[in-house]
Amino acid sequence: MKRLHLVAWLAAALLVAACGSTPGGGTSNANSYSGKTIKLGAILSITGAGGVYGPQSRDGANLAVKQINASGGVNGAQITLTINDDASDKAQSAQVAQKLIQSEQDLALLGPTLSNSAVAVHPLAESLKTPILAVSTTGIHIVPDCNFPATTPCKYVFRDSLGEETAIPTNIKSYATDKHPATGVLLVAQDDKFSSDGGKIVQDTVGQYNINLLKTIKFNKAEADLSPYVTQAVQAKPDVIFITSLGGIPAKIMTEARKQGWQGQFLGGNGFNTATVSKQAGADGKGARSASAWYLGNTFASNKEFVDAYKAEYSKDPDQFAAQGYTAIKVLADAAKRANLTFSDLAGDRDKLRTAMESVNIQTPLGPFQFTSTHDVKQTVWVIAMDGAGGFTLVHEVKQS
Amino acid sequence: MDQQILNAIFIGSIYALFAVGYTLVFGVLDILNLAHSAVFMLGAALTYSLVINHGQSFLVACIIGVAASGLMGLVIEHVCLRPLRRRRAPPIAALISTVGLALIIVAAIEQGQRGTLFGWLWVDGANSVAFPPGTIPNPTWHIGDLTLEASKVAVIPISVALMLALGYVIRYTQVGRALRAVAENPRAARLMGLDVDRMISLTVVISSALGGVAGILFGVALGDISPYIGRDNVEVRGLAVIVLGGMGSIPGAVVGGYLLGLIEVFAVVALGSGARGGVAFAALFLMLVLRPQGLFGAQLREKI
Repeated sequence: MKRLHLVAWLAAALLVAACGSTPGGGTSNANSYSGKTIKLGAILSITGAGGVYGPQSRDGANLAVKQINASGGVNGAQITLTINDDASDKAQSAQVAQKLIQSEQDLALLGPTLSNSAVAVHPLAESLKTPILAVSTTGIHIVPDCNFPATTPCKYVFRDSLGEETAIPTNIKSYATDKHPATGVLLVAQDDKFSSDGGKIVQDTVGQYNINLLKTIKFNKAEADLSPYVTQAVQAKPDVIFITSLGGIPAKIMTEARKQGWQGQFLGGNGFNTATVSKQAGADGKGARSASAWYLGNTFASNKEFVDAYKAEYSKDPDQFAAQGYTAIKVLADAAKRANLTFSDLAGDRDKLRTAMESVNIQTPLGPFQFTSTHDVKQTVWVIAMDGAGGFTLVHEVKQS
Repeated sequence: MDQQILNAIFIGSIYALFAVGYTLVFGVLDILNLAHSAVFMLGAALTYSLVINHGQSFLVACIIGVAASGLMGLVIEHVCLRPLRRRRAPPIAALISTVGLALIIVAAIEQGQRGTLFGWLWVDGANSVAFPPGTIPNPTWHIGDLTLEASKVAVIPISVALMLALGYVIRYTQVGRALRAVAENPRAARLMGLDVDRMISLTVVISSALGGVAGILFGVALGDISPYIGRDNVEVRGLAVIVLGGMGSIPGAVVGGYLLGLIEVFAVVALGSGARGGVAFAALFLMLVLRPQGLFGAQLREKI
């Protein structure tokens, strides 16, 4: 009888041990990556037009790396993340990606900051079978059709940033429901993918809400003197001015339009969503609305932890870009943990990581996080307004449907 | 429409002031100083950096900014122009050497990141910056439908006064006569006892200082200062202005500047935004075909 008990205990113990060693099963896997390094590379726009977004993505990502490494790493492996500036230049972005994938042999990449650069970088990563997670690109045809106009879904390209195809219509709908504007003018930078995509979405959306688009005014993003364009917009006396552009341009347009005495509502896209732009616009931007993937005061469990840690690290509030950068590292770390990496077969590891990314299901500052079947995000959208002092106030919370 | 005319005059003043410096050097040396757009940018960037990074008052920063632009003129002369002149190199060599210097100046400002040699020149990682509101008092008036903003309105008298002063110096003073003599025939001027090298240095310094002023006015009035403002906004347009006005003619550069401002703004209004650059250069092309010497090329036989 005693012997039978012993055998039963042994069998049970063996069974537990066996379960523990299956992928994702439990704690006995914890040290299997011990002493290894998970090499990640980020391609961000630290300088150039995207320089108002990239540094925040960098800070968010670095914070996540620091936290993960401090708490034992990924199954014992430490993450190294190199930040590479693409100067907001498409060609440079692709060169950097090539270097990270082929000479640096990074396991996976983050970025690039701008949709304009993504059209060069993502197809490259796809063809070199390297997982890449976009942290701030919101244009059309980022996922899954990274090789647009080819429609074959890209297997290695993911994004954790909210697409303008969701964000802009949500924002317009929310404002139309609140204030019923009758007329609008669109100011769009025509020589940048993110901006011109946004412009198209505005044009396609306004009709649904009975807003008459009086005029679409296109300009080039390098033009310093935007006053003739703003004058044209103001002279049309619209209820709303839509701005789809990036960098410091939205703030400049707001300032110029207010100087010319226009009192209406500014609506925009992801280009508005950083503290840098809100600060540049100052009082002239007060009330300007956009739909954001993240809001400082959101009540998701892991958001407070993120905000507190970010403030402690950098002595300033994070913004949407920081939250997305932070989330990206958490997503990659979770996937790496479950991927049974070998650290000897890079191509095999990249494939395993890619597969594991598809089943990520974690809590993040953006909310509960899972990729859709098209590798995109599905999440709560926050309609926010600039507060006139470098921050944002919450207007509406639009839950994912 | 009225506001658009004002917009045209504001930007035209800056084009004119920039082009006056451009054309001055061309008038005297028969060389296009393509570093002029970099000096334009340097004036604006340095003034900004002095105010923001080094806590100087705007006025002090402007004076240092203009002085530094003038000094950059000396660098242009001693590095790009004089050594080539000594070796009787063709004008194209000087053209290339000034392009090179322009690239170096832009790169130096671009590298202005914390901890680098040029960190004091620029703001870490910033692309385009503007003076924070309140640095310069900037009241805005509304008259009817018109908006008059002090920082833009000020561009007009400052530009006009500087251009008139330059015109006076060149036409009525001893120095001006010497400059014109060098422009007309350097060899004869030297034989008459003029220090030609000194006159040329002076020309490039005045030209560069004017370029610096134009850059500062541009940065303040348009709220846009970046390492690329010279290259993107005035380099090629400056060329268009001096061709419109007549190569080497100062009144031509002034009229050409305002003309280009008007053409550009009306192109935006009449034909839409994409037309801005195209229409301006179509006008330039038309001028080259119909009147290759430019607006003021024929009346003024003499240079500058």
